[in-house]
Amino acid sequence: MQILLEFAQGPLFRLAFGIMAIGLLRIFILDIWGAVEAYRRAGDKNIPWAKTVKKSLGWLFPIKRAFGSRPFYSLISILFHIGLILVPIFLFAHVNLWEKGAGLSWVTLPKTWADYLTLSTVLFGLALFFGRVSVKAASYISRKQDYFWPLILIIPFVTGYLCANVGISSSGYQFFMLAHVLSAEIIFVLIPFTKIAHCVIMPLSQFVVALAWKFPPDTDEPISISLDKKGIPI
Amino acid sequence: MNRVRAVKMILWMITGFAAAVGITRFIYGLGATTNLSDSTPWGLWIGFDIFSGVALAAGGFVITAIVYIMKREEFRPIVKPAVLTAFLGYVAVIISLLFDLGLPWNIWHMLVFWNPHSPLFEVGWCVMLYTTVLLLEFSPVPLENYSRYAKIRNFLMRFRFPLVLLGIMLSTLHQSSLGSLILIMPYKSFPLWYSGILPIQFFISAVALGLMMVTLESLFSGFLYKRHAETVLLSKLANAAVWVLTLYFIVKMTDIAVSGKLPLIFNGSWESFLFITEIFVSILIPIGIFSVARFRMSIRGLWFGSICVVVGMVLNRINVSGLSMLRGGGDSYFPSWMEISISAGVVSAAILVFLFAIEKFHVWEKPPRYPESEPSSRPQFDIPSQVWLGNPLESGRTRYSLAFLMSFALAFALIPGVDIHSKGAEIVTAEPARGGDSLFIDGNRDLYGVSFNHQKHISENGQKESCVICHHMNRPMEKESPCYRCHKLMYQPADAFEHEWHYNSKGGNIRCYQCHTPGLEKTALSAKKCDQCHNGLFPTGSRIIAKQYMAPSYVDAMHGLCVNCHRQKALTDDSKKDLARCGKCHESVPPDYMKPDAPGMNKRPYFNRVLMPGEEKVLKVVD
Repeated sequence: MQILLEFAQGPLFRLAFGIMAIGLLRIFILDIWGAVEAYRRAGDKNIPWAKTVKKSLGWLFPIKRAFGSRPFYSLISILFHIGLILVPIFLFAHVNLWEKGAGLSWVTLPKTWADYLTLSTVLFGLALFFGRVSVKAASYISRKQDYFWPLILIIPFVTGYLCANVGISSSGYQFFMLAHVLSAEIIFVLIPFTKIAHCVIMPLSQFVVALAWKFPPDTDEPISISLDKKGIPI
Repeated sequence: MNRVRAVKMILWMITGFAAAVGITRFIYGLGATTNLSDSTPWGLWIGFDIFSGVALAAGGFVITAIVYIMKREEFRPIVKPAVLTAFLGYVAVIISLLFDLGLPWNIWHMLVFWNPHSPLFEVGWCVMLYTTVLLLEFSPVPLENYSRYAKIRNFLMRFRFPLVLLGIMLSTLHQSSLGSLILIMPYKSFPLWYSGILPIQFFISAVALGLMMVTLESLFSGFLYKRHAETVLLSKLANAAVWVLTLYFIVKMTDIAVSGKLPLIFNGSWESFLFITEIFVSILIPIGIFSVARFRMSIRGLWFGSICVVVGMVLNRINVSGLSMLRGGGDSYFPSWMEISISAGVVSAAILVFLFAIEKFHVWEKPPRYPESEPSSRPQFDIPSQVWLGNPLESGRTRYSLAFLMSFALAFALIPGVDIHSKGAEIVTAEPARGGDSLFIDGNRDLYGVSFNHQKHISENGQKESCVICHHMNRPMEKESPCYRCHKLMYQPADAFEHEWHYNSKGGNIRCYQCHTPGLEKTALSAKKCDQCHNGLFPTGSRIIAKQYMAPSYVDAMHGLCVNCHRQKALTDDSKKDLARCGKCHESVPPDYMKPDAPGMNKRPYFNRVLMPGEEKVLKVVD
């Protein structure tokens, strides 16, 4: 178990982390490349730059857009993202590892906050899963990975919580740590090849659409009218 | 998958692997990634990438000389690829040099701080100028694709002949000056390779290698793009190579014979084996093959012969630049896998750029078919709608970047994680100063140290009260701890606190909560301070308060304490201006009781000094 854990925390971690880091960089570059190619081929080169930037920023902080058709689900999703992003990056134990391994360190979360955020992430992750399963309409726009992701994402949070609170898991610490590390590594490897890649290409999505799908500016209004959906976010 | 795609895929993988290793090299330094040492500072990167890289790029000046100076117009089709190979070869040399230099960001120093007596200065300048010339020589080819740069292109084309002349001159100069570089180490290199006419040998062999490199490059790219090989043209080059190789052989063997080194070839040593292999692979076998017209005209013969010359000459450059010096220096060196992968990565990247240029620009008279335009699977209709989906083309960049990514991550995983740090200085423990009222401070026991008049320091600084100026901290249960008790290592910081001892049941056997405040993260900040438990750790009034758990190295601690104090004294007292100079404390001769022949001394040679020739024998008597 000890040897397996060391292997998972050493070479396997670096493999997974390398695939994630360079993989995200890769799709980021490929996305920009594709968009530039589309722009070069486009007959109409008038791109509404200012509007696209505004739209991208709007989607990065989706306060206004999110509360359209399913406000409760959107709220859960936002809360889920807070813990999902903050805890792995700012957890003291993780920063400590970075400092030991690479000499880098940054601010950390207080332990109680980290614990609450972890638990909330697990709860909201489950809620997201059930939210998707329970609404029939959601199944029409769901792929397999959409069901699968909220569930696999909470595994490292559950096991991480058990490891951080040794009182609960003192006997199975090594097992939980191994599960924690391995599940996180599986997630790392999958990130650049699945929808989780939106963590880096999300800011680009509006640009890619604006460059590659040439709707003339200000046509979203007439389109939504013709679809009989005026005022409803599509 | 066609040939080009498969080869490109492999090249991208090697490049990706090398990229991860390259980043490691620049973050952690040479000591952590290479097997180089102070005694073997030149390794694979110098022997293969620099020495052989420059020689392999010789095709550029050889072919331009043949076409522009000797006016052999039939060789014009291979000028552009030859110049491109030379240019990329030189860029690869420069990039490899950046990996090999300890302080690569100082590479511009050569431009500003001139040292015209140094062969390296000439090599550096020639490489720089020749790379520029090659860039100007080749740039009309890519500029052809862009009509808006027509003016620049016409301007460059007008100066083509002077550029070619300049290029030939510069590369002639520095192919040979790489040889002159070795002239300054007559005793280090093995006699079989050392010669007063090494510059001339380097130049002649570079010409032969240039011819064969162009042949090999032409065969290789022809094979990749399934292009008809220019056998007639290449066999003419092979014929020329026979003459050049013969000249090289005569010059080399005459030189060896005249200087009476012939017996060395057959004495059965490792060097003689290397030499015989090199001569056969680089000279005799190719001459044998290319002298027969039937082999010279066949593709197989050309492949075999040109590979022989290239491999043999690379071996020659590696021998000259280091391999032949290894045994003499008594060292063993084999490049680490990181060195090998970086060398391979630089070469792969250069080949990728070469293939890119061939596909995109007018390097060949008839450009090859674009390999990415070949569908990777059968064209098909969309089944439900019966819509024609077009040719199933997969963008090359998607595939190649995936290959790059995967091998990058693999290399990243293979790099040893926690253990990756420079081997650095050998760990030398500091030993106590010896003597009584007058101490001899010699932490590493090499007999070079400082005579320290302890009594004088006490009396001059105010008797007993002055102890705390220097003795700033005591180990538990000690009074006036000597320096070496905490500053345990000569050149590295040492752990003065020993956390493990404190919690270990065989040591202090203290529970975590006894020092660390419960509920907080267990760091130094949440722990009790040392003097909360240990009484008398800091003598009252001590000048220096230890703030960290790590004690600086013995050398740093001594220098910090003595020099700072002496410097202040020297500033205030005009009669003691010399007080802060090194020689004031460091005496070259140890006191009598420290002499190596004194009874009870551990007899070590004077390893800190630069040895003069012949001195080793005298020193060996000491032990």
